[in-house]
Amino acid sequence: MLLNLIKRPHWSFGALLIALCLLPGWVLAADMGNCLLCHKYPGLSRIDNDGKMKLMFVNEEIFNKSVHSKVKCEGCHTDITKIPHEPAKPVDCLTVCHIIEPTSEQKFSHKSVKTFIDESVHSKIDQEGKLKKFSEDMPTCKDCHDNPLFRPLAFVKKVRPGIAEDAMGRCRVCHEKEDFIFRFYNHITTRLHKSRSPLNVAEACGKCHDDKALVKRHGLTVMAGSSYAETFHGKAANLLSETIPDCLDCHVVKGKSVHQMYGNDDPRSSTHPENRGAICNSVDCHPKASVKFANYQVHPVFNKDQSPVVYWFTTFFYVLTGGTLLPLMIILFLDLLRRLFPNATFRRRK
Amino acid sequence: MTKYPRIKLINGEKYFFRFDMDLRIQHIFLAGTVVILVLSGMPLKFSDASWAPYLYAIFGGINLAPTVHKITGAIMLLLFGYHLFWIAKVVYKNHYLRMKREGTYTTKGFLLRVVKLPMVPNLKDLKDIIDLMKYLFYFTNVRPNGDEYTWKEKFDYWAPFWGMFIIGASGVIIWKKELFTQIIPGEVINFLLIAHSDEALLAGLFLFIWHWYNVHFSTSVFPMGTVFLTGYLSEELMCEEHYDYYVKVMKEEGYEKEILPPHGGGHAPSCSDYAPKGDDGAASFEKISEAETSEHLAKEGGTAA
Amino acid sequence: MKNFLTKIYILAFMALVTYFGVIIWNLTFAHLIHEYHERHAGNVEYSEEDIAQQEKDKMSFEQVILKSEKRVKNYLGYRVLEQQYIKGHFHHIGFDVGPDKYSYCSSCHGDMPHDNVTKDMRAFLNMHAFFIGCQTCHSRPEGEMTTGVYQWYDRETGEIVSSPVNDASPGTYKAKIIPFVLENDALVRIDSKERIEFVAQYRLNEKDLSEGQRSKAKKLIHSVVSKKPVMCEECHSKENPLLPLENLGYSKRRVDSITSTEVVGMIKNYTKFYMPQMLHPGVADDAVQQEQVQQATPVVPVASESAAPDAKHQAAGEAEE
Repeated sequence: MLLNLIKRPHWSFGALLIALCLLPGWVLAADMGNCLLCHKYPGLSRIDNDGKMKLMFVNEEIFNKSVHSKVKCEGCHTDITKIPHEPAKPVDCLTVCHIIEPTSEQKFSHKSVKTFIDESVHSKIDQEGKLKKFSEDMPTCKDCHDNPLFRPLAFVKKVRPGIAEDAMGRCRVCHEKEDFIFRFYNHITTRLHKSRSPLNVAEACGKCHDDKALVKRHGLTVMAGSSYAETFHGKAANLLSETIPDCLDCHVVKGKSVHQMYGNDDPRSSTHPENRGAICNSVDCHPKASVKFANYQVHPVFNKDQSPVVYWFTTFFYVLTGGTLLPLMIILFLDLLRRLFPNATFRRRK
Repeated sequence: MTKYPRIKLINGEKYFFRFDMDLRIQHIFLAGTVVILVLSGMPLKFSDASWAPYLYAIFGGINLAPTVHKITGAIMLLLFGYHLFWIAKVVYKNHYLRMKREGTYTTKGFLLRVVKLPMVPNLKDLKDIIDLMKYLFYFTNVRPNGDEYTWKEKFDYWAPFWGMFIIGASGVIIWKKELFTQIIPGEVINFLLIAHSDEALLAGLFLFIWHWYNVHFSTSVFPMGTVFLTGYLSEELMCEEHYDYYVKVMKEEGYEKEILPPHGGGHAPSCSDYAPKGDDGAASFEKISEAETSEHLAKEGGTAA
Repeated sequence: MKNFLTKIYILAFMALVTYFGVIIWNLTFAHLIHEYHERHAGNVEYSEEDIAQQEKDKMSFEQVILKSEKRVKNYLGYRVLEQQYIKGHFHHIGFDVGPDKYSYCSSCHGDMPHDNVTKDMRAFLNMHAFFIGCQTCHSRPEGEMTTGVYQWYDRETGEIVSSPVNDASPGTYKAKIIPFVLENDALVRIDSKERIEFVAQYRLNEKDLSEGQRSKAKKLIHSVVSKKPVMCEECHSKENPLLPLENLGYSKRRVDSITSTEVVGMIKNYTKFYMPQMLHPGVADDAVQQEQVQQATPVVPVASESAAPDAKHQAAGEAEE
């Protein structure tokens, strides 16, 4: 067990190099300050006083395929104004960055997320604006998000997803800037499906919702991630289905943002008992299912206290399986042993 | 019935009739569908396992494998339906109609006759199991003399029979869950999923370990028993597993003089050296076995159809 | 013969059946037992000692070190991006920075040895330590030992390899630079087999050594460390850089970049801003020592409780036997 943990694969960047070949060579617009002069080195790291590893390396190739690839470094790291710089302060995701949002022609910011989050079940403050109990457990941006990467689709390329050169060729007829074409293509096609694979979503939620201490402290009834993994949906996600519903498909009201999740007791929530039936029989899922269908337990737990019926039902089958097969295995074993000593016996034959 | 002689002589060796073509084809279909269903279903049940994605990829991954599973399942259910029909046909023709023809038909008599069909578990099986235990724990070295169908074969038959019913029914409901939950609550689907996958695990392990051991890997039949292809069982294996029935058939077919001692002479599985005994030995064996056989027949009141 | 094979077959099959039995147990009753323990563990009220023990366990080597590193996979459709998980890390890493399994320095000092002593430059120094062997900067072979020969060695095996520079993106090499010295007229690696063995033996016997033995061993091990490490501008310089960059496989473009005014200017800036701090590597109280240090050119000691004093008291160029 421990050996497994110690062992780590090395230098798997051969795969990365293959990915790099797909990338047309243009200059990274984001790096105006030539930050990568130093930050392209993967060894740029240290261990801070708490023993936490600080890695200052930015993988240019991967960054270029992220949704933030057009944002300048100092657009987020606003405290860095000169080189050499002091240790960077944590980034405020709500900062107004230097990108112009094209429809409003205003400077872009994630500020609206804060208003959503403050109303949601994940807010640090309650309705009166006071800090909730254990508010420090509530997620901040980076607990759920790393730098989101493009997941381009290509319908013209049936074999596997990715960028379709055919489609890019069509863009190039009218548009000239390679940089723009690449980003526009990626943005649109990424938005056309799940921005993360269901498995990655379940893992992201599971970081907290599978943490025993957190689940207990906040009085949650189930370990959401691991129980989801017991259902067909979870197992299919585990086998990398892209269309299977993940946490967000049920817990976010259709057409709303992930940041607008509410507790089960909130009538605005999609999982409120009143609304629950409508989750399953949405047009995208099980269109003709009745409301009864939503009684299905999507977080079944094999635990006698939490769900006794599931417990006894499963136990019956465990006992049936083990109780049938183990005696048979013993007979098998003895049969083999008997074949080793075919004529031995305690008693002489009559 | 005369289509298949009960004893076939090939190069002077006797082969005993077991299964007709209809049953053999049913078995091939069953075996094929079970293998595909287990292989395309287990990666989902154990989706965490390292082998799961690779095995699943053979059936087209998460986008295709469920369809493969459902179609194969449907074929298996059709087979199950056909088998039920086949049983009904056999019982109707060979028992109901015959009783009518002979004018001995009463409902009670008919039911009794059905219960005594060779495939129905009976007290002889219980006795055989106890005898087998005695043998396996070295209290004796006499193996039980099996009847036409031994308890192992009945297990092999009824376990998948029950399994197919449970797995098939739950599978259909899960497949058409939107339809069925118009009536039943969604929670039932949870239980059906448990039943479906756990019962499948039981059936899969049972067939691939127990059944395959008995018909493939046991030293008696290694590398493979051929009865599922030819329908006929060799005299040697017939003696080893179905001695009571063997004696009965031999007598009925007029080979009374050629009856072999039980289990290859030494009461040992046929892996051991088989050395026919002298006249004396053979005669005494015959006596013993005859006595035992008649005793059994008397006790069980003739279980054969 | 056939009989013998049959017996072997039976024995092997018995082992297989036992294995099946274990699998079946794990698939069935083991779950029940596990659930039972889980349920009861969840219901137990912990005593204060239990809680203290749990807190202790949280700080155990297993928890803090072995279980601290997780890996994540991002499924992007066209590729799977697997990388180390660093909590709260926003940017993607994309490949693994494997440990240097060969360097005997790293075995004590770790792969990111530069720490508080050189606070404002530690990350830079760690970055260099990623592809430059410790001895390259911390050892200055003197007199006749000097050769000016440097080679790349494989981080995993320690073998001398051809230059990885132009096949990879900067600093992502699987190899490190190591200097060669002349010993008894032979050109040898500075991290000779004997030195590696010496350190290995020291680590093996550390517990059983007496105070004197220990200090002696440490001194001998660190005897190759020079008082004055190689400074940035000694390599980042157009004129006669210490490292023979071209021989190490750097292309003209890369050499120009390493010695460009951009880089050199930044080094100057750093020197200007941070040099004063570098002059006080944590020993400011001791006036005499401070004087010594100030007289010498700045020291960039490696981070270790013993490294700094060792460097100061070092007898020069005394190679261990």
